[in-house]
Amino acid sequence: MKAASRLFSSALVLLVVSALLFAMCRATPVSPARLTLGSDASAEQIAAFDHQYGLDRPVAAQYGTWLHGALALDFGKSYVSGNPIGPQIADTLPNTVELVTLSFVFTIVVSIVLGTVAALKENSGIDHLLRATAVVGLSVPSFWLGLLLIRYVALKTGWFPVGGLTPWSDGAATHLLALVLPVLTMSVYYISVLSRLVRANMVDALSQDYVRTARALGLSSSRIRIYALKNALPSLVSTAAMSYGYMFGWALIVEQIFNLSGVSRALLTAIFQRDYPTVQAIVLVITTIFIASNTCADVLHGYLDPKANRT
Amino acid sequence: MMADSSFPNLQRKPHVLGAWLASAGRLLRALMHEPAGAIGLVTIVLLGVTALCAPWLPLKDPLQLHIEHCLEAPSEAFWLGTDQVGRDILSRTIWGARASLSIGLCAVSIGLVLGTGIGLVAGYKAGTWLDETLMKVMEVLASIPLLIWAIALVGITGTDTLHIGVLAVSNETKLVLLIGVLYAPGLARLTHSLAKAESQAEYVAARVLQGASGARIMLSDVLPNIISPVLIQASLLLGVTIIVEASLSFIGLGVQPPTPSWGAMLSDARTLIFTDNWWVSVFPGAAVFISVLAFNLFGDSMRTILDPRRRNARAANVPGASL
Repeated sequence: MKAASRLFSSALVLLVVSALLFAMCRATPVSPARLTLGSDASAEQIAAFDHQYGLDRPVAAQYGTWLHGALALDFGKSYVSGNPIGPQIADTLPNTVELVTLSFVFTIVVSIVLGTVAALKENSGIDHLLRATAVVGLSVPSFWLGLLLIRYVALKTGWFPVGGLTPWSDGAATHLLALVLPVLTMSVYYISVLSRLVRANMVDALSQDYVRTARALGLSSSRIRIYALKNALPSLVSTAAMSYGYMFGWALIVEQIFNLSGVSRALLTAIFQRDYPTVQAIVLVITTIFIASNTCADVLHGYLDPKANRT
Repeated sequence: MMADSSFPNLQRKPHVLGAWLASAGRLLRALMHEPAGAIGLVTIVLLGVTALCAPWLPLKDPLQLHIEHCLEAPSEAFWLGTDQVGRDILSRTIWGARASLSIGLCAVSIGLVLGTGIGLVAGYKAGTWLDETLMKVMEVLASIPLLIWAIALVGITGTDTLHIGVLAVSNETKLVLLIGVLYAPGLARLTHSLAKAESQAEYVAARVLQGASGARIMLSDVLPNIISPVLIQASLLLGVTIIVEASLSFIGLGVQPPTPSWGAMLSDARTLIFTDNWWVSVFPGAAVFISVLAFNLFGDSMRTILDPRRRNARAANVPGASL
């Protein structure tokens, strides 16, 4: 029930946000026809352009058509190339999803390991070291980190390509090797956030009465750790799921630095060409992923932590 | 007659300013025991003062091209070296701080005013239609991913100054407004939960019985009691904004040249990444890093000071996750 109502409210939110996005794209200072055709286009040419792209219809009708199409993954045609936008996104989005998903998995694994180690060795040297590293990791701008990695790791060692992405067909090893540094660049910030969270939750869980009881009953310490981790998980899951959505924003920057052909290149090209339908479509897709991951976060949280549902 | 001592909150403190100064003094003294936070605060103050005084410092003109000194390594004449058109990197870095800090301050202030205001009203009126509506609007705003919408906004409206009627809206202003509005939901949620709990306190009920108006109770009783965690969050958001601004400027959608900014400097440095000219990319990046680090250290320490009991669990509310 809870999950169903959460899904419904997310759908509503998505509807409102898509209307906001549509309004933002229509609030352009210069009309798209004028921008695309240039300042010497005649009034007839402009009218023809407007008619071709349905820009002469009422805004509400345009929004309806756009939304209806978007539900079927048909985002209309690009002003610049005249090609349908859907396939263009389908070509570039998988690379971005791959980058984000790999970074996400890497982040989760490393955060749980580091956070647990820090919590079990609370106030030890390694705990302090990890905490200090986390504050540093929170403060490093990812695009700078990317540049430094290219300069001081990729160039110096020659182990990794300095940019670009080879397709899977050229071999999984070379493909994945090209993703090592981008994934690292993306993950540092989120590992800092999540490992601190894991540590805090674990320390909290380990100080609970049931842990003391379990110790008194003579349970092995590894088993107690598993129990504690299980209790530390719920609030981690929701923050982690949310960071999956946030990562798409950073992926845009990281793709630029490492010259990966993901959705960011498509977006920035569209922006510099003033190709609004493409911009609108890409932003809608990423916003949808963002809202979906937030919804998953809430639903999972409610599932893992039944107490959360009651409030 | 009620004894004042049993209802210490019934009477407003006679010297509001004095009380604020005293509590600021207490916090500063507590900061002495948190060296990391103290270092953060000192760095922030130094940064702020340097940025503010940039026009009066004995610096070279950040825009002047010293064509005969292109790409010179750090030297006595150019402490941090020069870039590919011979501009002084030290001067550009200091001027870049102005852009970063002012955008950060403006955006976070907008977020603070909107977020605290909405959260305060909604939390005080908890359970009413007003609460529901306001928080629903915040939920919608929280569903907007900041970075990509900032990119889209600039992409759609262009990087040039917009003219809406008599208003001239520069690219920086657009970004400040968008980032500020998108910071509101997080701050509103925080304020909301604090204000909701605080409004249940007995002294609030007593103030109502005294006949104080809702607005007055909110502003002079509830707000001062809940503002500290909100301000700490704002300090951490300032760090986040500096990264966001630098990232946007890096891809050419933020601060527009010729205005010096850290992100744009790094963007220029990108083509030199394969050369030996390390100083063009290291210094502006380090400037971003150090200023963000300062805000993070300061914010973290303040949290520890204000809530020493839950030293560990507090990290659960890591604001950095809001990116």
